[in-house]
Amino acid sequence: MIMHSFARSNSPSRRLVFGLLATLFALPMIGNAKAANFDEIKKRGLIVATEDDYRPFEFVKDGKPTGFDNELIEDLRKYAPFEIKQEILPWTGILAGVSTGKYDVAITAAIITKERKQSLDFTSPIADATHYYVKRKDDKSISSIKDLKGKTVGIQAGSALLARLPELNTMLEKEGGKLGKIVEYTSYPEAYQDLALGRVDYVVNTIINLKTLVAEKPVFEVGQAVSGRSFPAWAVAKDNKELLGFLNEFIAKEKASGRFAELQKKWFGESFPDLPVAFEPEF
Amino acid sequence: MSGGDITAILQGAIVTVMLSLVGILIGLPIGLGLALLRWARVPIASGVVTVYVSVLRATPLVTLLLLLFFALPNIGLPINPISAAILALVMNTSAFNCEVWRSALVNFPKDQYEAAQSVGMRGGQRFRRIVLPQIVRVSLPGLVNEMSLLIKVTPVLAVVGVVDITRAAVRIGAQTYEPLPPLLVAVALYAPIVFALVSLQRWIERRQIAAEFAA
Repeated sequence: MIMHSFARSNSPSRRLVFGLLATLFALPMIGNAKAANFDEIKKRGLIVATEDDYRPFEFVKDGKPTGFDNELIEDLRKYAPFEIKQEILPWTGILAGVSTGKYDVAITAAIITKERKQSLDFTSPIADATHYYVKRKDDKSISSIKDLKGKTVGIQAGSALLARLPELNTMLEKEGGKLGKIVEYTSYPEAYQDLALGRVDYVVNTIINLKTLVAEKPVFEVGQAVSGRSFPAWAVAKDNKELLGFLNEFIAKEKASGRFAELQKKWFGESFPDLPVAFEPEF
Repeated sequence: MSGGDITAILQGAIVTVMLSLVGILIGLPIGLGLALLRWARVPIASGVVTVYVSVLRATPLVTLLLLLFFALPNIGLPINPISAAILALVMNTSAFNCEVWRSALVNFPKDQYEAAQSVGMRGGQRFRRIVLPQIVRVSLPGLVNEMSLLIKVTPVLAVVGVVDITRAAVRIGAQTYEPLPPLLVAVALYAPIVFALVSLQRWIERRQIAAEFAA
């Protein structure tokens, strides 16, 4: 519509205005996103971004942030010789905010993927994120991976989990079937709701999220792994080596003191003592 | 849902109402100003307004907000979530308000304007005493419609970390794994907010009718 009216307009002033506007909108895209270097961070404080609906990693209870990552942030406040400023927002804006330098680090369970590694660097993994499926306990038609063929799956849009569904498809093809309909959700609470309502037959998420879900909602049951190894970690802007080093030191210290295992046990129901220090994703 | 959860949703309601109010109060006069620039065919400015309105009406609010929030810091303008939310709301609603005001201005009877000129009213007087009271009445239903849309589009602002009614409800659902009760509370809260706005419109309209009879 608007393009038409511009095309028809020969008025030079309109053209000028359009050009100026286009430049204004395009300006921020040009030039590299500038992430603060470590010296700047020391001066103004570290800006961390966390999620608000990703139990058990980060969620809000009675108006206060809590969960695994939020308890680590409390420790980080004591450990860091500078201020920690926390921003809480939905997943949608988090990684974009880190890569554009709005936030210094995303302290959330961001799964390490090849694609994300092009614009972000990741700390040491904080947990195991191998993908499993969850189903309704009373649904007797699913008992192993091969029963998933042709069934409707619920999964988060734009997630690393969605990107790895082809792995499950390969597993199903070996059994002579293939992946059924995929329904994408903006966040998992809605996917679980639809699973309970029978609109999807199973939902794929990481083992930790599903264990927490099932502990709270025994109408669901966790099935088998549907992906290879996968790990979540905190994300910083690409090539922010000093900040990455600082955060990795913090994680290593928490691991050595046993605090990491303690928090994992508290929030995930199990600890992961053999997490790699660095992880190179295949996907 | 606990008492703390209800408090959290009510705090979200305060955010929703405050952001909507600020958006409406800033967006309304800006919309009128833009409409006047176009109506009066001010050189260059009216062209700028035309482009502004077309671009803003074609841009989804969430896209505009993300662009402002992530792009402005890159050109040296740090912006916090609340400011970005207000800026996006105002930019969006002023474009729509502009068109509502403009439709009233375009249909304004020219002879009245000329009559006011002939009795020696100056420009400012003509606008305040003759034009404004009449275009307000004509524009009111359209403006209130746009305001109620603005209130209901505020959940979009959550994308930069603003916690409104809906986001507060979503957070509770994510913590309890029971999304329905908080969402029902959320829905029940929007209705009285929009109803209050519509009641205000009715009150203004009744007052105008009463004033006409009195005259």
